[in-house]
Amino acid sequence: MESMIEFRNVKKAYGDKTVLKDLSFCVEKGAFVTIIGSSGSGKTTALKMVNGLLRPDFGDIFISGENIRGKNQTQLRRNIGYAIQGSVLFPHMTVEQNISYVPNLLNKRNKQKTRDAVDKWMRIVGLEEDMKQRYPAELSGGQQQRVGIARALAASPDILLMDEPFGAVDELTRAQLQTELQRIYRQTGVTVLFVTHDIAEALKLGTKVLVMDRGEIQQYGRPAELLNRPATEFVRQLTAQQRRTCHLPDDRLADCRYSGMRWDEA
Amino acid sequence: MIQDIWNLLTGRWDFFAGLILEHLQISLLAIAIAVVVGGAAGILISEFRRFSKPTLGIVNFLYTIPSISMLGFLIPFSGVGNATAVIALTIYALLPMVRSTHTGIVNVEPALLEAAKGMGSTRLQILFKIKLPLAMPVIMSGIRNMVVMTIALSGIASFIGAGGLGVAIYRGITTNNPAMTMAGSLLIALLALALDGLLGFAEYRMKKRGRRAKKVNRVTAAVALGVCISLICAVFIPSGQGETIRIATKPMTEQYVLGEMLDILIEQDTDLNVELTHGVGGGTSNIQPAMEKGSFDLYPEYTGTGWNMVLKKEDVYNESLFGELQKEYSENYDMEWVGMYGFNNTYGTVVRRDVAEQYNLRTYSDLAAVADRLVFGAQYDFYERPDGYNAFCEAYGLHFKETMDLNNSLKYQALNDGQIDVITVFTTDGQLATVNGVVLEDDKQFYPSYLCGNVVRREVLEKYPELKAVLEKLTGQISDSDMAQMNYAVETEGMEPRQVAEEFLQARGLLR
Repeated sequence: MESMIEFRNVKKAYGDKTVLKDLSFCVEKGAFVTIIGSSGSGKTTALKMVNGLLRPDFGDIFISGENIRGKNQTQLRRNIGYAIQGSVLFPHMTVEQNISYVPNLLNKRNKQKTRDAVDKWMRIVGLEEDMKQRYPAELSGGQQQRVGIARALAASPDILLMDEPFGAVDELTRAQLQTELQRIYRQTGVTVLFVTHDIAEALKLGTKVLVMDRGEIQQYGRPAELLNRPATEFVRQLTAQQRRTCHLPDDRLADCRYSGMRWDEA
Repeated sequence: MIQDIWNLLTGRWDFFAGLILEHLQISLLAIAIAVVVGGAAGILISEFRRFSKPTLGIVNFLYTIPSISMLGFLIPFSGVGNATAVIALTIYALLPMVRSTHTGIVNVEPALLEAAKGMGSTRLQILFKIKLPLAMPVIMSGIRNMVVMTIALSGIASFIGAGGLGVAIYRGITTNNPAMTMAGSLLIALLALALDGLLGFAEYRMKKRGRRAKKVNRVTAAVALGVCISLICAVFIPSGQGETIRIATKPMTEQYVLGEMLDILIEQDTDLNVELTHGVGGGTSNIQPAMEKGSFDLYPEYTGTGWNMVLKKEDVYNESLFGELQKEYSENYDMEWVGMYGFNNTYGTVVRRDVAEQYNLRTYSDLAAVADRLVFGAQYDFYERPDGYNAFCEAYGLHFKETMDLNNSLKYQALNDGQIDVITVFTTDGQLATVNGVVLEDDKQFYPSYLCGNVVRREVLEKYPELKAVLEKLTGQISDSDMAQMNYAVETEGMEPRQVAEEFLQARGLLR
């Protein structure tokens, strides 16, 4: 399969503290990769390197086969959707203005195109038309996240980066949003890199899961593989709970149809 | 008092309306410059953080300079008048502007900035689309503070000959007219409150959402901007320049009266316009440099002051030196003394009438014989001046029984009440008109002579030859007691300097 994002021997340290040790992995086009790890594992650092918010000390990152080091970082970012934790909608802009933020940066002249994009994405994320003129403070937590997703996708990027986007909403809303996100992912075929510290979320959403601990990859594989053949003790412990939820004996764990798996993978 | 203020405001509304307009012009110009420059500086130091500390340090330092000395520093560079006032006000307005812009911007939620950056905004886009709109409430409150402060501070602008409501305050203070001072202060306060209210309304409108409200806002903002710009521009449109004689006066009642006389006579007898700048703070030390620069054309001055302060002579001036005074003014400054009024505003000594009669006192030398039986009173500085109390006593061999420190008006009261017997006075003091005492003769000419006359730039005399004849009309017309009477009319009877000037000219048959 075609490679969308590739990390090649990426290292990063803040002062004496090494955050990423020789990170190499590849995200295929159209994949939904969840990155799971405890805080300080380097998962957010890795994510921010994809859109150039952070730069590797050593090593390179390729997007669609091109090294991003030499590219115009602003242009790069405009073609990558970015949604981060909590409500980081711009409080002084309406829902409409928030969603059209990136399209406005890209096509200033073509206002109709921007309006169409806003309408389309509001429909896709399930927001009512009459919310356009509202301000973020007038929305519920779940609605804010939907606007956040719509804003990240409004310019129809090839890649969507998400950093614990559902960290601040309640369980019920989160489950709803996860289902919505899966639907949007299937509908658009966008390549997603999704950082979370919730293993259930990682297994549910990811077509592949990247487990990180202390700046190193512990395992990178399909959810079933993580459950079935944990590569390290860290992964085994991390997934222990999920393995139990299928109520299957250990030797038949591979048969567990976890929600993150596709039917054809089962 | 309230009635007095009301009468003054209604009776002389044209005068006050002019001052309000000037006040607005000066302060709005300073505010506009401060918003642009201070705002830009605030933005720059929040984008380039390492400059923020030194920059805030500098504006803080400027802010702490007392306004009087700030004006003093600026006068050598920008002269007296509106320009200096605007510069000084702008300097003070910078601190609140820079600080609020900086504070507003650096306190914007960092996560929002990262989100904006991550979505591909350039630095400028982040600044204009995210940082500035979110910092606006803080910036706006800074602006409101700054506007109120600037309107209030503009009151001191008149000290250096700029216009505005400070003129009323300062005139009230120098001519002992509390109603005038109060009226000026009241109008400044009202002006500040009104502008603050307007800005509050603007802030409220800015929060309004919806397309129609935004449209109304844009129109209102455009109109407000237009009004401000036209007001400010009016500062720079000179009023009939070229044919205008610019006259300055010192902050003394008699100079206000003299200024009005000159105004009346010049406008009556020639085609020239007169622009009067009353009560320039600091007197000679600020007017003389402005004369040298050509900002003023003439002003009433005293010979002794010219000798010591302008020509910087060390010795005591007497009128036998007038030829030399005239010559040095001409050679060094291209200025001439024209139209000596006749009165001499120098130190004098007054003895209560009954004491003078009892001992038959006419001169300072007569006083020496009986001084040890008399109580002497003077204002504080008289005891400190090198040519003050000690030198005076030494020159005449005086030994008073007792001395007292009293301010100018208390001094006269104490003399009339019999608490003290001898006071030192200025020979044109308004209170002299009613004092129950005798002015003694300075028979050894201890005090320098301070004859009053006009110092005029030669260039102006040559350009408008008709001017000289007008100034000469007042030569020898005003005696010490005439001047004292007129000062009394203004300071104690509450008459307007212009009215006093008119009545005097009328009595001398100089009015047509």
